Amino acid sequence: MKTSVVGSRVVREDAWGKVFGQTKFPADVNLQGQIYAVVIRSPHPHARVLGINSEQAMSLAGVVAVLTAKDVPNNSHGVLFRDQPVLAEYIRMVGDPVAVVGAETEEIARAAAKLVEVEYQVLPAVFDPEEAMMPDALPLHPTLRPTNVLYHMPIRRGNLQEGWAQADVVIEKEYSTQHVDHAFLQPEAVLAHVDERGHMVVQTATQYAHYDRGEIAHALGLRFSQVQVKTLAVGGAFGGREDISLQIMAALMAWNTLRPVKMENTREESFYSHSKRHPMRMHYKTGATKDGKLVALEAKIIGDAGAYSSWSINVLRKSAVHASGPYVIPNVSIDSYAVFTNNPYSGAMRGFGAAQTVLAYESQMDLLAKEIGISPLEIRLRNLFKVGSITATGQVLTGSVPLDQCLAKIAPYLQRGGVSQ
Amino acid sequence: MKKRGIGLGCSWYGTGYGNGFPDVSSAFVEIHDDGSATVLTGAVDVGQGSNSIFAQIAAEELGLESKDICVYSGDTDATPDSGTTAATRQTYNTGNAVLKAVRQAKSSLLDYAAHEFSCPTSEGIELKEGYIGVKGDPSRCMPLADMVFQARLKGERFISAESSTARSTPVDPETGQGAPYWPYAFGCQMAEVEVNTETGMVRVLKVVAVHDVGKALNPTQVEGQIAGGVTQGIGFALLEELELKEGKINNPALSSYLIPTALDVPSIEALFVEDAECTGPFGAKGLGEPAMLPTVAAIINAIDDAVGVRITSLPATPEKILQGLAEKKEG
Repeated sequence: MKTSVVGSRVVREDAWGKVFGQTKFPADVNLQGQIYAVVIRSPHPHARVLGINSEQAMSLAGVVAVLTAKDVPNNSHGVLFRDQPVLAEYIRMVGDPVAVVGAETEEIARAAAKLVEVEYQVLPAVFDPEEAMMPDALPLHPTLRPTNVLYHMPIRRGNLQEGWAQADVVIEKEYSTQHVDHAFLQPEAVLAHVDERGHMVVQTATQYAHYDRGEIAHALGLRFSQVQVKTLAVGGAFGGREDISLQIMAALMAWNTLRPVKMENTREESFYSHSKRHPMRMHYKTGATKDGKLVALEAKIIGDAGAYSSWSINVLRKSAVHASGPYVIPNVSIDSYAVFTNNPYSGAMRGFGAAQTVLAYESQMDLLAKEIGISPLEIRLRNLFKVGSITATGQVLTGSVPLDQCLAKIAPYLQRGGVSQ
Repeated sequence: MKKRGIGLGCSWYGTGYGNGFPDVSSAFVEIHDDGSATVLTGAVDVGQGSNSIFAQIAAEELGLESKDICVYSGDTDATPDSGTTAATRQTYNTGNAVLKAVRQAKSSLLDYAAHEFSCPTSEGIELKEGYIGVKGDPSRCMPLADMVFQARLKGERFISAESSTARSTPVDPETGQGAPYWPYAFGCQMAEVEVNTETGMVRVLKVVAVHDVGKALNPTQVEGQIAGGVTQGIGFALLEELELKEGKINNPALSSYLIPTALDVPSIEALFVEDAECTGPFGAKGLGEPAMLPTVAAIINAIDDAVGVRITSLPATPEKILQGLAEKKEG
């Protein structure tokens, strides 16, 4: 199909504003009469809040309000399950917000936050997902799941025993990936105000304004039609702006005080107020014939969901589905698990569970190639998905499956010594 | 000693929410009296450039230029819900919704124009370079603006609302069998690294990335996505790690949580394969997430090629590489 605009190198409309520093990010907008709000977060990974004394903080000149769990009409939010409190009375991770302080200036708000006394009953915590999976481990979300296993996805295809019988070479290895932060350059910021219509208006940087609207409306007990979420320029997201961070707290403060409310995370606060990439432990056993054909794969993947469910079910599903790599393997047994712990909660991040498995399946391919005595390129060419191939989930790939074309383009660059001269 | 190695990584990625999760995008379109148009969509442009892509899609379909299209997005009082900017889904899914909406508004415009031009079918009408007219008959042609303005005088407006839903089905919970995602995007990358055997430091010298994009709606943006993805992949492979102690983050600062800087970014050669995906807008697939996937594997495999150390736990820190070299010496 011949196109003229599509396929051309049109310059992005947002480019000039960004280059000249004119673009408005949420931290750049202000309203007359606004107050500043800061969050008090738990220093404990697992605890009960026994009491919050805000008398001293309230007596500081310029402090407008200190809000806690009892001030939230519906105290929950979450993308799959509303298992995350807006302001917590039961702490599941370091950084859970327990109170939000509003004051005339940011300095006063931060000073007042130090004067709020929170009494905690510290509870035993679990940080290792495999320990958390043990049947005797205390479940962190008993109303959601009887154990800390939030999700298990099995994939079964073919006959593994037959697969091992056909295999001339078997490579078995453990792989692991780390907690990763999105580290977007613009920390979270929000400006919330009640406008002349009596509507709750929230200006922020998000990946999904309509989701934020729904969660703000739910928490405050408002109709969708009373809440406007307006997205300003987004300074990086990568999945870290899918869950709610400050939006509901800012809206709650504005709704309670009828003052515009500005919130802006420091970098340190930002680390505590959004999800992380799931650390994963991946046990892989892969078998191939001496001709380099993959015949069997057994994989066990354990993902640390941390304190809240967020997208963990979908992330570990994606890990399982993509665990084979882009290769035909007739005999497969894959198990992936998402497990609650008292670590920072894990959620969406670019690659969404399919980023971690690449380490495992592509390392296995190189190790198999070495053992068999063929090149890394050759073993991939002998197994790659083509049109009509069947995946580990039994999906028949029809349509566009051009991995062979991609490899054909990269092949010349794999000649040793021919690269960076 | 500094040793060089090259590594290959391949990946695949099912785009969209998947597993039967409702994956719907919506768009509103209005063609204005001066022949320009506005596209409203909930799809937030998080910096990846979706607004520009939607403008190109609408402009292409209406025979206009990108600058003739206003794309406004991510405001719940004005724009329809288009789902999350995630799952590599906005170019594909909201792109499809925009295309459907533009085609709907265009279809009533063509019907109106066919009548005005005494052409018995709208099939005979074309939009080109800001003009509307009868195919093959240059005498029956006028500026699009005149046509739209005259239509208004007769009470005709060209506005539309459309939605597009991606196809996927839930897998069987016992066996995992099913068709959970569509489409899949493929890619491969080559990394050349230099490993300092005394310090364990790894420097990425070059990355060549080849990605399957269906159709590159804007090649500059394809290259941008690849450059960003490779850079993030380098951070994942070599640098980034949250240090936790009893759930507390010990390095909540960019001075101790290391992300790649301009000095860590190697020469990146971004190539793409255009094999049209028939369900995508103009054949396009998404690229956002796939762009970072093969990088980790290419780097880890290149380290092994350079010094014979197989890193199995990320990130590949100098300490792990030195430990691997020491074990190799002993072994």
